[in-house]
Amino acid sequence: MSYVELATITPRARRRRLLRKRFLRRPLAVAGLIVALAFAVLAVFANQIAPYSYQTTDFNAILVHHSSKHLLGTDPLGHDIWSQIIFGARASMEAGVLSTLLALTIAVPIGLVAGYYRGWIDPVIARITDVLLAFPFLILAVGLAAILGASLRNAILALGIGAVPGLIRIARGEALALREEDYVRAAIANGARDTTILFRHILPNMASTLIVQATVTIPLAIIGEAVLSFLGLGVQPPATSWGVQLSAAQDYLTEAPRLAVYPGVAIVIASLSFNLLGDGLRDVLDPRTQR
Amino acid sequence: MGSFVLRKVGAALIVLFLSSILVFLGVRALPGDPAIALGGENRDPAVLAQIRHEYGLDKPVPVQYAHWIGHALRGDLGTDSRGLSVAHTIVVKLPITLELASLSVLLGVLIGIPVGIISAVRRGKLSDYTSTTTALVALSVPHFWLGLMMILVFAVNLHWLPAGDYVSVAHPFQNLRHMLMPAVVLGTGLAAVLARQMRSAMLESLGADYIRTARAKGLSEWSVVCRHALRNSLITVTTVIGLQLGALISGAVITEAIFSIAGFGRLTVESIQQRDYALIQGIVLVAASGYVIVNLGVDLAYSLLNPRIRVAGTRT
Repeated sequence: MSYVELATITPRARRRRLLRKRFLRRPLAVAGLIVALAFAVLAVFANQIAPYSYQTTDFNAILVHHSSKHLLGTDPLGHDIWSQIIFGARASMEAGVLSTLLALTIAVPIGLVAGYYRGWIDPVIARITDVLLAFPFLILAVGLAAILGASLRNAILALGIGAVPGLIRIARGEALALREEDYVRAAIANGARDTTILFRHILPNMASTLIVQATVTIPLAIIGEAVLSFLGLGVQPPATSWGVQLSAAQDYLTEAPRLAVYPGVAIVIASLSFNLLGDGLRDVLDPRTQR
Repeated sequence: MGSFVLRKVGAALIVLFLSSILVFLGVRALPGDPAIALGGENRDPAVLAQIRHEYGLDKPVPVQYAHWIGHALRGDLGTDSRGLSVAHTIVVKLPITLELASLSVLLGVLIGIPVGIISAVRRGKLSDYTSTTTALVALSVPHFWLGLMMILVFAVNLHWLPAGDYVSVAHPFQNLRHMLMPAVVLGTGLAAVLARQMRSAMLESLGADYIRTARAKGLSEWSVVCRHALRNSLITVTTVIGLQLGALISGAVITEAIFSIAGFGRLTVESIQQRDYALIQGIVLVAASGYVIVNLGVDLAYSLLNPRIRVAGTRT
């Protein structure tokens, strides 16, 4: 690399290059990213990748062990387990990503307003957050499912709402700290409008914290979806998800324990990949945790 | 100090009040007419009207709320659809879940805190990587699946432990045998959270100025870690246990379902499935109040231990 080339790099591009270098030095975080992307691909292209549809039943192969025809064997209804796992990834990714996006959309503006304006609005929002936190998430989710009916969409709603209070606290804390920064004070002194300050100065600077939080909220939602579907409050058969598969496997725990093993392993790998990625991103983006 | 306590207690009371309204309205939002549920087979409009009148369901909602909360404050949570006292049912079921929760917290603390300390002290070494990675794996395992796998291994295959059911504490040995797997299942997640929090709190303490002073004084490493760094880190971690109470209650719901323990968690799911209004209200009110009161206690204890917060008093 020549000096000429270096001189033309903008500071932003240099920072990005530095961050990428730091990230690539963390093998576990890179592995997390690759596996998480693999699950995303499985979810999006489930129709193309899965050898069978999740509804295809093979009555000549019921509860068979793994074979060339059925990679992971079949369940008591003759469903191909490998295909079921692939379609389960779709429900899990949907639940993980959509509920996290929902939670961010609700929580970030509220947290921004509370932390930036303070005044009377801040304690009001703090108390409302406390109230929401006082309801154990699962009780909230079970209640919502009872009110709205059991489906993947309502499970996503419940999981999203459950993640809101925590994210409000984080966004508020960041906004509170960032509003004391010199560049924000300078913008205020220059007479910038509040919306400009909030969206041009504060929001971009809390983006890295939010990205890390989003990455570690996704696995919570993946596990949450499995729990709700396991209790019969999420995805409804014949549609499938890892939680639905585990719920069905319960009755065959002694005869065919593998039915309960595969979906569980899938959940662990999927949520672990996002957790590894989140931890890595936190290390890279937050200079305080530099090793 | 007095005003700090007053402010904290005041905030907790407001939260309790708002929670009770939310519980009340939330239960009203459940589909299904409670009068029909109470009437059973009898769908005669006159009978239903009679039931509505008896249970005060024909009165305006604020009046119903005032009536309900007034009785609740005196320990009367009404009667469920089978005519049993809700307060009594909760008092019977709650100790089972409290035992499960206490054992899990004990396990979580006994495993999580030492692991966090070792990980921080030996930062960057193999033991640090092993424990942080193990904690991350433990965080990624769903409770209920861990429960199923443990039943599979220790109950179905090895026959070492019973697969479920609850045995009264009157038989301490049998009780512990039955509680061991559920407590491990519920305690694993807590241990992982505590290990991670303890590690970062210890790292922060170990980097502080007073630690450098303690080292400069020539104190032994043991004394620096245990007497100085650990004390300050434990204060931070105490609040984490309070905040984990919600997760613990959620975890109890599913753990009790897996191990067929008839405690508070199972009662929750059953009450919602049966649309037992009075029971749901009572359960959720007790759970939310418990969370608020425990966290108020933690907050007050925290401020007692940490003078900076007591004086500044603006930590929200």
